[in-house]
Amino acid sequence: MTDQLGALTTIFTEFYYWITVVLMFLIHVGFCMYEVGASRYKHHQHTLMKNTMLIPLVTVTWFLFGWWIYWAFPTGPGLAPSIMNESAALITDESAFSAKWYVPNSSLMAVNLGDHISGVFWAAFLLFSWTAASIVSGAVIERITTFAFGICAIAIGSVFWTIDAAWGWHFDGWMLKLLGYHDAYASGVIHAIAGGFALGILMVLGPRIGKFSSSGEPRNIGPRNPWLVTIGLFLIYTGFWGFYAACNIPIFDLGPEYGMEGVTYWTATNIYVTPTTLSGITMNFLMSLSGGLLAGYLISNNDPFWTYSSGLAGIICASAGNDLYHPIQAMIIAMIGVVIAYKLHYWVERKFKIDDAVGAVAVHGYAGVAGLIICGFVLNGYPSSGYSVGSMWVGTDYAPINPLGMFIGAIIMFVVLGLIPGWIIAKVLQGMGKLRIPREVEIAGLDYDLMEASRSDEKAVSSSTR
Amino acid sequence: MATVSNWIDHLSAAEVKGAVYPGVGTEGILCIIALVIWIGWHVLQNNAESNHLEKLARKRHSANDHKSNITEW
Repeated sequence: MTDQLGALTTIFTEFYYWITVVLMFLIHVGFCMYEVGASRYKHHQHTLMKNTMLIPLVTVTWFLFGWWIYWAFPTGPGLAPSIMNESAALITDESAFSAKWYVPNSSLMAVNLGDHISGVFWAAFLLFSWTAASIVSGAVIERITTFAFGICAIAIGSVFWTIDAAWGWHFDGWMLKLLGYHDAYASGVIHAIAGGFALGILMVLGPRIGKFSSSGEPRNIGPRNPWLVTIGLFLIYTGFWGFYAACNIPIFDLGPEYGMEGVTYWTATNIYVTPTTLSGITMNFLMSLSGGLLAGYLISNNDPFWTYSSGLAGIICASAGNDLYHPIQAMIIAMIGVVIAYKLHYWVERKFKIDDAVGAVAVHGYAGVAGLIICGFVLNGYPSSGYSVGSMWVGTDYAPINPLGMFIGAIIMFVVLGLIPGWIIAKVLQGMGKLRIPREVEIAGLDYDLMEASRSDEKAVSSSTR
Repeated sequence: MATVSNWIDHLSAAEVKGAVYPGVGTEGILCIIALVIWIGWHVLQNNAESNHLEKLARKRHSANDHKSNITEW
């Protein structure tokens, strides 16, 4: 930073991401409140601790290897060559955006006067990792062990979502080049994968005791504290707004970046380094939230739990293309996503006896998949990248956005990187006898001992005041 | 341990060294320590949780027993 303009741009970008990280922390606060509100009284404290402990577990592993995966895997490896070094191998060379700089013992992974961006960018992605793990957390409450959840949280938060981010959420990702994949605000790379991963675990974990009658009819185990759920979801909305900002590069000169001689074009860009505006995405965020709420209110017969969740599902569904949609398109897409997610949730519950305690698979998984597929049609023909637009399946060019590529992308997110790994990991943990808490504990309540100790404490205090 | 002992000298050098944390060069050892802490935590947590669940399961409380423990602080 030797000139004022360069310094201003760098420090502004550093501060911008720093602010988004703080805002996104609210997502996790919201998830904790939401989950505790949805759980039964006798499981409250363990539910809270399970979700809370994913913060250090995902953070430490994100430092050790998660961030490295993001920078190493854009090529597959072996699926499409990098535009930086023209090799399809893991990107670990000396190039500027190589994973070489993000091994945990790199001097850039610390206070470094020569790098003001890596740390805040690392943190922004880390907050996305927490979100992915936290989405899974809600679905499995009241019966998974904290140990098993910790392993699952690391798997989704520091391994599988970061692989999908490298593939489909990186300017050099092979899914952009071969499929024309476009997912500006993470309908797929966060939500569809986390929903799929949760579904994979739920298939092995099984329902809560009493969720289904002996004839297989589902029973409603509604939220125990609707006010906590409400505030939690409001906080998730707020954090999600920060997430939208974090998915952008706030100020960037696209002229030299695209190799346009003599052209200077300063703009905000999305994660793929194609232009958008914070102004426009703010309209789209709010219109898709509104579409979700409107549809959710009607379809759920004004059930507060589903109406709030639908606001979230609406944003999630529109997120893939919210960098380019018209606000009214965003609203309509959100409404469609909510109807699909709501209907699918109850169909899957009845048909396959899947007990998704907070509707996470529906709100994140089904709405995310729907959003990707819709994006393929609405943004059909737009370039997936500004670097070099070509045709599908040519690894050296970037395919344009198209319905088939987005459909395949949705399958990769939900099934290949979500459901299948979730199912396999849950099966292994089940085989070790570590996946599910004992039946007696589930009936008594995970907090039984804590509550008993609390009663003893109260008695002791009361007796001393006589 | 100190990497910087004089900021004026440090920042006026021909090439300013970016890494200013204590113990530059020991990053590998720090990573191994972090790895041990991470894996060790899982082992300790798993042992504690298994014991807790086993003890609680043996008591065979009913679904409503916890209600008698609800406190009014």
